[in-house]
Formats: sequence, C-alpha cells, structure tokens
Amino acid sequence: MREETITRQTIADPRSHYGDAKASTRHFILQRLSGVSNIVFLLLLLFIVVSLAGEDRTDMVETVGNPLIGLPFALTLGILTLHMRNGMRDVLEDYFRGRTYRLYMMLNSLFCLIIALLGIGAILKLVFWG
Amino acid sequence: MVELMLPKADRPTKGKTWPKPAGAKRLREYHIYRYNPDENANPRIDTYWIDLDQCGPMILDGLLWIKNNVDPTLTLRRSCREGICGSCSMNINGLNTLACTKGMDDSTGPIKIYPLPHMPVVKDLVPDLTTFYAQHRAIEPWLKTTSPTPQEEWTQSVPQRAKLDGLYECILCACCSTSCPSYWWNGERYLGPAALLQAYRWLIDSRDETTTERLDNLEDPFKLYRCHTIMNCAKVCPKGLNPAKAIAEIKKMMVERKAA
Repeated sequence: MREETITRQTIADPRSHYGDAKASTRHFILQRLSGVSNIVFLLLLLFIVVSLAGEDRTDMVETVGNPLIGLPFALTLGILTLHMRNGMRDVLEDYFRGRTYRLYMMLNSLFCLIIALLGIGAILKLVFWG
Repeated sequence: MVELMLPKADRPTKGKTWPKPAGAKRLREYHIYRYNPDENANPRIDTYWIDLDQCGPMILDGLLWIKNNVDPTLTLRRSCREGICGSCSMNINGLNTLACTKGMDDSTGPIKIYPLPHMPVVKDLVPDLTTFYAQHRAIEPWLKTTSPTPQEEWTQSVPQRAKLDGLYECILCACCSTSCPSYWWNGERYLGPAALLQAYRWLIDSRDETTTERLDNLEDPFKLYRCHTIMNCAKVCPKGLNPAKAIAEIKKMMVERKAA
C-alpha cells in the first residue's frame, strides 16, 4: 500500500485535519505514569535481589511467593512491558513508515506480550503454587 | 523518516579554489556550498579567500565581498544585515545561525558555509522554505476571537502581555526547525520548533478565544509529540529563544486539559 502524500496545501490548511490522532496526549500521559511505575519496579527488584543475596532457591520462592511482594511485582512488570512497547513505538514511528512500520510494530507488541506473559506467569506461579 | 546518508546525487564534491586577492595581507578562507540545479551536477564546495582589510567583520560581509569582488554567481538571501529579518540564516561551521550577526572572529580556521540542513536547495545557500511557511500558516498565527469586536482595541494587562516575551521575537529564520533531527526525519508531519513556538505564542495570548480549537489542531503524535527534547532548537536560535520550552508548555496544556 502506498503511503498517502501530505501536500503543502494540506499542511497549511488547518481545516484539512491532517495528523489529527486524538489519542496522542493519552499516550503521552500513559508513558510518563508508567515511567514512574518503573521506578517502583526497579526499587522492588533491587530490594528482592539484595535481600536474597547468598540465599538458596527455597528462600527466593518464599520471598517472591509472598503475595505482598509477588503481586505488586507482577503488576509493575506488566506496566514495564507496556512502557517498553510504547517507547519502542515512538522509535519505530521515527524510523519506519507504512507497511514496514506496521510489521515492526506487530513484532514489537508480540515481543512485549511474550515478556509480560512469561514474567507475570513465572511470578504468579511462585505466589500461588510455590 | 530517518535518513542517515545523503543520496549520491546530493553529496558535495570538491569544487574550485578561487585565487587569493592580489596584495592582501590579512586573509580568511571560506569554504562555501555551491549548487546550481541547471548544471545537472553534484553540489560542490568552493574555496574563496577574503581580504579582511577590505571587508566588514561579519560572515555576511565576507559573503557579500565574495559576491561583489570574486564570484557574482554566488547566491544567498540577505536583507536587513542586523538580525531582524532572518533572511541570511545558514549553516556556518556546523551551526545554524544568521550570517549577519556571526562574526568571522568567532572561530579560527576556514569558515565552512552550507545552506540550512535537510531542506531542498533552490541554489547555493538558498533553501526552499515553502513547507516551513505552510507549517507556520497551519497554526493560524493571528488573533482568533468569538466575542464581538470591541469599539477600540482588544486590551491586555501588563502581566498578560509579559507572557508573550520570549515568543513574539521569533523572526522565522528557520534555524531551529532545520537543526532538529525530528524535523529532518518527519518534516512533512512534525510542525517543527518554529511553528510550535508560534502556536504557543497564540495559545497563551489572553486575547485569543480559541484555545480549545488550537489545542485540538495540535493533538497528534507527529505534529506536536515528535519533539524528543533534543534541544538543538534552543542551542541555535540566533534570538536566544527557547522553542523546546514552548513545546513543553503546550504538552503541559494538553495534559491539564485531559486531566480536567
């Protein structure tokens, strides 16, 4: 599919409403809020890593399996992968257009989804089944 | 879209070295981008020598000296020669600036002069700014009101007027927009720092009554949100303005509107 050309007349005419994607501010806010959530994730991850230094697997399962730690950890991991996807979308928008962009965006979403499912699944397994 | 290399036909080659002026004691070397669409050849970089004893101190003085004394075919825009009109904006020693306010003594070695980056070149140092002006038109840079027009004038308090400082001074030289990588790569979809600075100037004008409409017109991942706060715009602005801050303020207005 050929990409639509934006002419100078289109650019100069506000009534043309070219580039009128209303979701952009929502994306902007979401990216900032998920960025803040990533700080929480990072602190939680640091806490887990430091508190488990030198411990064996049983202690690790006990710590991460604690719902008060495991569930927020799973939630923040979910938000992290969402942030990852949206951040990469910004980069892809700069570098690719049309069909190539849509293909890479699909791969990006798929990759982030797999990371989220594997990560959250692993944590939930420790929380509910040990 | 991102382009990391110039097409082969646009890559400059080594050009002509013009003779040094006879009898000159103080010389300065200029390397100038030359391109003539009628010649059907790659652009070239010509070397010129300026006699500093016969020429003013600014880069523009040197260019005009070359045009008057060495090579009358050298093409450039200039008008006011004092930083008001924005005509002589060009890339000098790697930075976009005005040739009329940039001194030759600001740098040592050869002075390298190119047209504003990533714009179509009409000839030599003259870029085609049609899209740039269309983008300025797109943000509707004039007062828009819905109330009945007053008998005298639209009034504004001193603090309200002060909000326009740092915005209204823009001379549309295009130094900022053409120094922005986001604008290089998405120039037809991203409005660019200059147009967005002007958009903010009208958004915060207390007399304007179409803020919602103006914000609606900007709400797009490319028109506004392609700004990645690279800050080249603020670095090169010859008037010392900060378009990046204006863009951040527009984003803040967008978020406040969404949160309200």
